[in-house]
Amino acid sequence: MDLACENTWVWIPIPQKFQSPMILKLILGFCWYLLHLMVNLRHMGSSVNDLLFCYIISMGLLLKHQNLQLDKLNSLAVVVDSEEAKNTTKIKQLLCWLSSIGIKYIILYDMQGVLKQTIGTDLESLTNTSMTPCSVIDAKMATSLFHFEKMAIEIISLSDGKEGVAKAASFLYSEHMKDDSEICYSSEPDFTESDVANALKATGSAGAEPDLLLVYGPARCHLGFPAWRLRYTEIVHMGRLRSMKFAAIVKTMHDFSKKHQNYGK
Amino acid sequence: MLSSLHLNPPLNYATLNYSSTLLPLRGCRRRTRRDGANESLVSTAHPARRYPSLSASLAPAREEEEREEALLPPHLRPESLPRHVAVIMDGNSRWAKARGVPSSAGHEAGYRTLKKMVELSCQWGIRALTVFAFSSENWTRPKMEVDFLMMLFETVLKESIGEFLREGIRICIIGDSSELPQSLQKLAKEVVDKTKNNTQIDLIVAISYSGRKEITQACQNIAQKVKDGLLEPEDITESHIEEELETNCIPEFPNPDLLIRTSGELRLSNFLLWQSAYTELFFTNTYWPDFGEADYIEALTSFQNRQRRFGQRIN
Repeated sequence: MDLACENTWVWIPIPQKFQSPMILKLILGFCWYLLHLMVNLRHMGSSVNDLLFCYIISMGLLLKHQNLQLDKLNSLAVVVDSEEAKNTTKIKQLLCWLSSIGIKYIILYDMQGVLKQTIGTDLESLTNTSMTPCSVIDAKMATSLFHFEKMAIEIISLSDGKEGVAKAASFLYSEHMKDDSEICYSSEPDFTESDVANALKATGSAGAEPDLLLVYGPARCHLGFPAWRLRYTEIVHMGRLRSMKFAAIVKTMHDFSKKHQNYGK
Repeated sequence: MLSSLHLNPPLNYATLNYSSTLLPLRGCRRRTRRDGANESLVSTAHPARRYPSLSASLAPAREEEEREEALLPPHLRPESLPRHVAVIMDGNSRWAKARGVPSSAGHEAGYRTLKKMVELSCQWGIRALTVFAFSSENWTRPKMEVDFLMMLFETVLKESIGEFLREGIRICIIGDSSELPQSLQKLAKEVVDKTKNNTQIDLIVAISYSGRKEITQACQNIAQKVKDGLLEPEDITESHIEEELETNCIPEFPNPDLLIRTSGELRLSNFLLWQSAYTELFFTNTYWPDFGEADYIEALTSFQNRQRRFGQRIN
């Protein structure tokens, strides 16, 4: 018998003890895919529910969303991704929607200052002859603050944020040295939050602290919105500007009106 | 965008096939470090990390001990994980109220959750974790609650110092320490000194912290530097402010990549105002004591998905 050349096929029955784990694996795998299916169905259902909800809000069928209580909303900030901010049609549509809801003060922000160049220029030409006089306090903000219909619109960018704080730091130093020379002794700088707030005002980087901030863009972050003004601001990511929906804004306002802040207490 | 109606967009659960009880976990975690000048990722092959366990206090830590495979859930990609995660640990009191127990029980449960989160962060290769333990506004809370919290911080630091050393956790404390009890100030300084050479993970604990106060202090430090002739006033830039912030105790990753806030609130509450400019925000309804491994995975997966969809990082 030539053992080297002969192929022998042998049927080896799988012992009973190895069959059970395989069956168990199959059952567990099936359960896992079933769980996946249930989760996916749940999320599909949730999306359909949201679509329906948006439609109902748009049709004005929900009374609670018709009469929004905006007493707590003194100012609203809108952060837009700079790429998406070039879509001025959408920005103007957004401003119209916000005006129709009854928002009185809007802060428009994008990192690169696209909104200042586009919307800011348009608003300036529209309101040049009829601009409401600004108070002395607002004088330094006059270049980026516009009054349009019943809304005040402030347009800012990164230069009003972190760069603004750097200018304030320089201003604080100058003021400190002025005080030092008057008192004729050298003291260590000892600044308070009020000092920084006043310095920001003096250098034109101060402004209202928004109660609510809507973020339009792919990233769920505030993209360098002035840090000093964000202390207790509610931040809501609204998705892409091109997909913005009036109903989503209304719902966000409604949810905000129900919020309660305890400010750490 | 309908997804905006949710706190966070629904995840693609088709990719979420993780279960610690059903599927095998992945192998080596690859540690990457970022070259700040060239904006490139330098990948360094790294042997699989030793399995750290804060609870296994009996297991001795030896450098020459054979490293086990890192326990990273399969769908979390190590190269897309955030390097620095910040957490606003909100909801302890509401959690306790919902269960009809005192708020102290909520804070104790919150501490256990934090412990678990540090453990998971170590396992998964998160390099820095910043937690908001106590804000400057919290001092106005009832005295009994504040005293309990100070006592809890002291107890935790005393009991955990051994584990910090064993697990290689470097502790940094940020906030206005002058308002803390003397004993806690002394203990905090001791813990920071003893752990300063640890390298596994940086744990920054914000106690009596205020983002605005931090910026104010930075402006003060800069003014002093100008006075000392180290800087000209017209040369002050935002970089100088950043250098003076307390989170610079981890110079490699001072700004968080991901910020998680629990309990359904959608704001920063004076936490890392400057540092969070380009931080992905993740808000969840879960109260902090209930924030578990699954919730953490959800937050990290959400971060990963946003990174994959929207291209390079904004900063």
